[in-house]
Amino acid sequence: MDAISLMESAANGALIGLMYSLVAMGIVLIYKSSSVPNLAQGSMTMLAAYVVLAFANSAGAPIWAAISLAIITMFIIGLAIERVALRRLAGRPIIMILMMTLGLEIFLRAGSMTIWGGTTRPMNLGISDAPLFLGPLLINRAYAFGAVVTIAMFGFFVMFFRSRVGVVLRAISDDYTAAWSVGISVERGVALSWAMSAVVATIAGVLWSSVQGVDQSLAQLLLKGVTVAVLGGLDSIGGALLAGVLLGVVEGIASSVLDPLLGGASRDLVDAAMLILTILIRPHGLFGRHDIERV
Amino acid sequence: MNAPITAKILSLNNIEVVYDHVSLAIKGVSIDVPEGGMVALLGANGAGKSTTLKSISGLLTAERGEVRRGELQFRGQSIGGLMPQDRVKLGIAHVLEGRRVFEHLTPDENLIAASALHSRQDMNRNKDRVYSYFPRLHERRTVASGYLSGGEQQMLAIGRALMTQPKLLMLDEPSLGLAPFLVAEIFQILGRINRDEGLSILLVEQNAIAALEIVSHGYLIESGRIVMHDSAAALKKNPDIQEFYLGGAENKNFRDIKHYSRRKRWLT
Repeated sequence: MDAISLMESAANGALIGLMYSLVAMGIVLIYKSSSVPNLAQGSMTMLAAYVVLAFANSAGAPIWAAISLAIITMFIIGLAIERVALRRLAGRPIIMILMMTLGLEIFLRAGSMTIWGGTTRPMNLGISDAPLFLGPLLINRAYAFGAVVTIAMFGFFVMFFRSRVGVVLRAISDDYTAAWSVGISVERGVALSWAMSAVVATIAGVLWSSVQGVDQSLAQLLLKGVTVAVLGGLDSIGGALLAGVLLGVVEGIASSVLDPLLGGASRDLVDAAMLILTILIRPHGLFGRHDIERV
Repeated sequence: MNAPITAKILSLNNIEVVYDHVSLAIKGVSIDVPEGGMVALLGANGAGKSTTLKSISGLLTAERGEVRRGELQFRGQSIGGLMPQDRVKLGIAHVLEGRRVFEHLTPDENLIAASALHSRQDMNRNKDRVYSYFPRLHERRTVASGYLSGGEQQMLAIGRALMTQPKLLMLDEPSLGLAPFLVAEIFQILGRINRDEGLSILLVEQNAIAALEIVSHGYLIESGRIVMHDSAAALKKNPDIQEFYLGGAENKNFRDIKHYSRRKRWLT
């Protein structure tokens, strides 16, 4: 294994990692504003990709218009999920809410199988297959595009959580009751976080399906998303970004070194090892908040 | 019982609260707060003080409690069916027991979060007002609120409530766990806000000594019922209050014997 191809794996890994971050960002968004770990983020990403295709193929809209329409649709679906499935669970034990999001994950995946079937369909964004040359390194154009979009989204959300609405959402995640006591509409805040998360899922879904096509395997991005979110510290957008890069690089290098020896599955192994080790060694992740204890 | 003849901002008539459809937490509480007045609700742990406040602010639902009987009126309007945020909009602010500041937010962000119902100009004006009452919060405005001292957190909790531009401020045990000089300071500021702005205040306290110094009237609640209502001066002189809440018992043994029967009389 020569140094150049190792660096190439690392560089492409970093870009892929940023695209993982986008999935994780959806999880962090909801966690940051309602302390709910959303296990349906993977299938929301998948659903969004199908919605884009539905607009592009059935309605014949050009791809960018289809994406915009899908963003609006997913925003509404996010609101609806919160309204129908989660609002009545407010104040219930977290395990109930967690199971509900898991139920949603399975429901969306199975539902998409019923409606659209299991064949993989292409999502063509018009990004050329020809690699970018970064010095001696070959970089995948689709990954690079995804990474740039992720960083832009990151910048947007950093600004957002400093805005008045963003501060209100953070307040809700800190203390529901106290938020009610100062006139915050907790329900609306949580609904907004689900809607935004669904929009992030749309963007992640488009980027990922341009790489691997649209089918139910997109929902497996949940694993990457959860790992990155936990590693970054569940409520930190910046943490999700860095953790994504970290996971991507480690995965890239590990798979180029180990895959020839192990025969393939090393990416998922690295993924699982990261998740388990994070929880064992540093449960609040790289940048997650500690619960503040005054001395 | 000398009920004030002035206009009432808040009136509770025979309120009954049930938790989880079964346990009766308060059993027929009636309280009036006069417009611009300052009233204390005194009582021991578990007497139903916090539940009474939550029934007014609407925060009962979060704990699966409900007002089963009685009437809640705010400035003549029935508020029993309103959501918490709509009651805040009307001008009811509830400072929760145990301060409950948004710990991961700075004091400044705590105040911003509490102005969800207001324009940016109103917010900035309210912030200036809060900082002028509590200059210490201004000094500490960029630290995570979880790291503030207990007194500072209580100030922040009160300041946060003031951001909603309340007409009625309800405070649940603001003296809890604070050093006496801080209690004095905070109560003095509350008195100032009451005088300067005509803000009506309903103060829930176990610390009857401090509370009776600043309020005009007080109610005593025991086991979910109001058992006494009088002016602060009269309450301070009342032998029962002196004994149970002001620590004024002198010939201990004799009083201890009477304690039980008197308590029983209140309960029935």
